[in-house]
Amino acid sequence: MEKKVNRRLTVVTICALALLFICPNAWSADFPKKPVKMIVCSAAGGGEDMETRAIAPFVEKHLGVNVTIENQPGAGGKIAFEKFQKTEPDGYSLIMYTFPKSIIIEYIDKTNFRTKDFTPVFAWSRGNQVLVVHGDTWKTFGDFLKAAKSKTLSGGLSGRGSTVHLAGLVAVDELGIKVNWVPYEGSAGSVTALAGKHLDFTICLATSAVSLTKAGKLRPLVVFSDTRDPYLPDVPIPKELGFEATSMPGIRGVEAPPRTPAPIVKVLEDAFSKAIKEPAYIEIAKNRQIVLQPMSSKEYAQMVEVTYPRVEKYREMLKEK
Amino acid sequence: MIDLLVQAVTFAFQWQNLVALAAGTVSGIIIGVLPGLGPSAGMALAIPLVLKWPPATALIFMGALYKCSNYGGSITAILVNTPGDSSNAATILDGYPMCEKGRGGVALALSATAAMVGGSIGMICLIFSAPALANFALEFGPAEYFLTALLALSLIAAVVQGATLNGLIAAGLGLMLSFVGFDVITGHLRYTFGWSVIEDGIPLIQALVGLFAVTQALVLAESAGAISRIGKLAGGFLEGARIYFRYPYTVIRSSLIGLFVGVLPAVGQSSAGLLAWADAKRASAHPETFGTGDPQGVIASETSTNACMPGDLVCTIALGIPGSVGAAVFLGVMIIFGVIPGPLVFTEKADVIYSLFVALVLTSFVLFFVGMTVARHFALVTLLPNEIIVPLTLVISLLGSFAIRNLMADVVLSLGFGILGYVMLKGGLTPVPLLLGLVLGEMVETNYHRALMLSGGSYSIFFSSIICKILVILIILSFVGPYLAPLWKRLTGKMK
Repeated sequence: MEKKVNRRLTVVTICALALLFICPNAWSADFPKKPVKMIVCSAAGGGEDMETRAIAPFVEKHLGVNVTIENQPGAGGKIAFEKFQKTEPDGYSLIMYTFPKSIIIEYIDKTNFRTKDFTPVFAWSRGNQVLVVHGDTWKTFGDFLKAAKSKTLSGGLSGRGSTVHLAGLVAVDELGIKVNWVPYEGSAGSVTALAGKHLDFTICLATSAVSLTKAGKLRPLVVFSDTRDPYLPDVPIPKELGFEATSMPGIRGVEAPPRTPAPIVKVLEDAFSKAIKEPAYIEIAKNRQIVLQPMSSKEYAQMVEVTYPRVEKYREMLKEK
Repeated sequence: MIDLLVQAVTFAFQWQNLVALAAGTVSGIIIGVLPGLGPSAGMALAIPLVLKWPPATALIFMGALYKCSNYGGSITAILVNTPGDSSNAATILDGYPMCEKGRGGVALALSATAAMVGGSIGMICLIFSAPALANFALEFGPAEYFLTALLALSLIAAVVQGATLNGLIAAGLGLMLSFVGFDVITGHLRYTFGWSVIEDGIPLIQALVGLFAVTQALVLAESAGAISRIGKLAGGFLEGARIYFRYPYTVIRSSLIGLFVGVLPAVGQSSAGLLAWADAKRASAHPETFGTGDPQGVIASETSTNACMPGDLVCTIALGIPGSVGAAVFLGVMIIFGVIPGPLVFTEKADVIYSLFVALVLTSFVLFFVGMTVARHFALVTLLPNEIIVPLTLVISLLGSFAIRNLMADVVLSLGFGILGYVMLKGGLTPVPLLLGLVLGEMVETNYHRALMLSGGSYSIFFSSIICKILVILIILSFVGPYLAPLWKRLTGKMK
């Protein structure tokens, strides 16, 4: 009798185990059960933070649970990244930042995290970098280039080690010009200084110079991108101007901790991709002049892969100037 | 312009906008009182709430919240020696000693009146001259900023009067602390000793919590009693409002300093109160009373910080360039609602902008009313026995210091600064020069470098523009002035 029960128990257990392995989706069916936390690795109120807060209500709708936001600023995001490396891969903690900021940090500094270890979930927006000059100065990129070749111009550096810094280095390298870089903490400082004619040009995110550009105080001469920016349809891209600049746009999206199971990633990815299709969100994105460019988990992973060697090329320059 | 303003007034008085305004005021005060929640985090938290509101109403709510959180911060600064936000630091200097004399209620009334007067003066300048002020701000390049910072640092001379050596030691310490962290110019880390928590520099609010709240808790723990040494509250609430208007000269000077600091995007907002306080001390006939509970100290600091916020909005709205984190969040909120700040906003979205301006002026008066009726009761806190208030303020202020970045290390940092503050206090050093050094250090240093990078190493850039020349003269005057004044008196005396 007892043996029989035992055997029955064994059979049931084996069947249950088998079921578990056959349908791993059983996990995702229970996910998510509690609020999902989005970690922003900069202070409340920054570009990353505002973008997270704008999308959160829409993700909430498609995920069916609350989405909370936690700011973990400090050391340009390094503190948050290092903490995230060791976070439980259960899908309840996600990190939002401007890629490839984390890779730049890896090359500048000793770090206890690896961007390629993180599990990409979904990226939705793209921030193009632009080269801007004062409205009273050069009208075209050609004029600017001629001037830059005849004398060393002063350029505002919108934050050392930022994605914009990298874009500036790439551009200057491709064009073969010399620049007297004047470093600022962020684009607010360099854009103001340019508007006051204290600098000759600066490179910043297109969104940082929108209103002054519209008012004619500043003029963007080139957008570092493979395609024209929908919000700056009149501004040419490097290809049209006859030079190649490996574009390195700031991509905003979310990643999960290392080794997050694929079914969970799928649930999250679906929720985000549906969220950015909501008309109310599209309206907000339009107002903020965010270029929406959905990027799946797979595409995001590929981008991480190809970005490492690109950043490495400028490693020494990032440290020096 | 007049038509627009009339329209804006009628709009601001619609019931839903008045409700939004009142709600913003109350939430702002609460956010200001809560440790670790400043205007920027407060506004960011409120975004999902207002997302579906009409733009003007939502902006009125956010504007009121932004403005009032500063007043909330002054309440904790005065009563329990903990600044709600870094801009309230100077309010502590005289606000808290007033509480010790039992005059906490008076100090709160002063701060409420300052919010009304300083805020209104700032708003009026914003409404009538925003584009002109913004263009003035653009004239400031690295050389001008360096000289402005130097002029501000010269106030240390006034602050340390009577204890020059001690004061200079503290100021030097402050400057040294401002060097810690990531160097914007060279990109190197300085004095971080591998501790990533201070890579962005010494976090200001965490340091302030240590220097004031923790230090004070240590001092209070030495004896029984309550914060109010006389064990009761003295002085009526209306008395505070009356005292305020007895110093019109201080009010005007402080408003201008606040507005000036606010208008220049690269001058830290946290310095507005400190600079006005130091300036009031310098101008006073009895500078020795400052820091011991002189109502002028509270008046100067709070008037200046409240005039600073509209000043900050000048460049934020007229150029689309935020001068502080709070302004950056507000800018982001405006953009979400389709109001793109910039030179064109005054024509494209004139209705929304002017309604917002009118509502903010109105907020100053609502704030005064709330402060005079509700906030006065908070003064009772100063009568609580030390054994209750010490652990309470310690826990709450350290919680605030943790909550800003969700970092336990920040609590350690605050405790460290608490011990430093305690040692300084026992050694007869005041924290004011240290704070001035800490707040202004980066501005002096980075702009000096930038100016020389632009000029290719030539020092002539510091005399190049008219603004530079005026600033240089002011700096020389502020150093030589104290020696010239007696000479001048003697000369004029002889003439008679």
